[in-house]
Amino acid sequence: MQSIRAYIRQVSLLMVLAVGFATTFSSASVAGVVGTGEVLTEQRADVDRQSLMTMLDRQDVKDALSTMGVDESEVENRIQSLTPSELADFNDQLADAPVGQDVVGIIVLFLLVFIVTDLLCATNIFSFINCIR
Amino acid sequence: MIAGLFRALAGALVLFLVGCASVHPWPKAASGVNSESFVQLDVPFFPQERYQCGPAALATMLASQSVPVTAEALVPKVYLPGREGSLKVELVAAARQYGMLVYPLADLTDMLAEIDSGHPVIVMQNLGFDWFPQWHFAVVIGYDSSEEELILHTDTRRANRQPLGVFYRTWDRAGQWAAVMLPAGDIPVTAEALPYLESAHDLESTGQQAPAFAAYQAAVARWPGEPAALLGMGNIAYAQQKWSDAARHYLGTVEKFPRLAPGWNNLAHALARSGCASQSVEALACANELRPDGFPLDLPTSDDASGSTCPVFNCPVID
Repeated sequence: MQSIRAYIRQVSLLMVLAVGFATTFSSASVAGVVGTGEVLTEQRADVDRQSLMTMLDRQDVKDALSTMGVDESEVENRIQSLTPSELADFNDQLADAPVGQDVVGIIVLFLLVFIVTDLLCATNIFSFINCIR
Repeated sequence: MIAGLFRALAGALVLFLVGCASVHPWPKAASGVNSESFVQLDVPFFPQERYQCGPAALATMLASQSVPVTAEALVPKVYLPGREGSLKVELVAAARQYGMLVYPLADLTDMLAEIDSGHPVIVMQNLGFDWFPQWHFAVVIGYDSSEEELILHTDTRRANRQPLGVFYRTWDRAGQWAAVMLPAGDIPVTAEALPYLESAHDLESTGQQAPAFAAYQAAVARWPGEPAALLGMGNIAYAQQKWSDAARHYLGTVEKFPRLAPGWNNLAHALARSGCASQSVEALACANELRPDGFPLDLPTSDDASGSTCPVFNCPVID
């Protein structure tokens, strides 16, 4: 135990150096230049948004939404205004949903829970607030 | 007291058995992939020392790609003596330090497709229970679809056969983590553009510039519609202070993707660094035209006045 204590100072110095080193590399997007990661995040958001929009295009999903009295364009607006991290979150949750069940049900359920209820101010999952009521 | 304990145990056992009742079906042969019934890759085997499945599995993965390495040499990099084990992130990080691109696989079908194409797959398993986990790393080196068995180099057993049901449960309990580790520039057969580029970017952001560059270069050839690959090549050249190379890559990026505002911004910086002051101001104006007020107007100055030939370009027309 004593011997470990004796090394702690050196070890922590090493750790500080290591962390400093790591952060230097991770900010490889040298000041002023847009990093590859940022562009990838934007692209990922576009893909995620597109896949949500494609779900919304399905006739059965449209029918389900209209029986709930939700205007499709409202949902569309809502999807457009989600941030990249919100979109990623949504798609992760959707990917984790049990497979093999009826797909429309799951899509509508997710749209309902994540977008529509938020839109109706029943929940407040997303930071963007624009309630119908 | 004892009887009560037994009852509780029996109850737990029943629950466990019920949990095991569902059996995962053997994946159907993916389209475009040969559907051999038996595949076993010729992969070097490193039997693990006590608790050291992490170094052994990683050594197997690296050696399969002709990286000269032993499990012993990896122990200091990935083994935590206090925890008697290895962390997944450490295995991945260590593989990157050898210049390998780590590409996570989505499912069992992708796993078999990678094996078909000669790539062993590292997997994480939980050999215990959810409430009492016993984590383990192993390498899938083949399969036998007629017997519905996977073939693994695992612990001290070479080419051990595991029935799909057993493998799937242990793998599922560990979050279904599976990955291939390939020399940068080799693209996994199941790879998709964005996840592959994210893996390449992980190399870039951990300081592995040469492998990251090779990975981006391969991506440009494979997915010509992805701007991030071209931009990434420019960013690496820029980080290496090869200003004119960077400018050339960025110029290639905006020629191919004229509406990519960051491409114009980065071009502006590379041009400024390589002594093309007026062109750099122009390029930055293009960037801010595409994305109003998106980019700060201060550009670096250059001590390079060698007057290297500066490119001629026009901003994209915005309708």
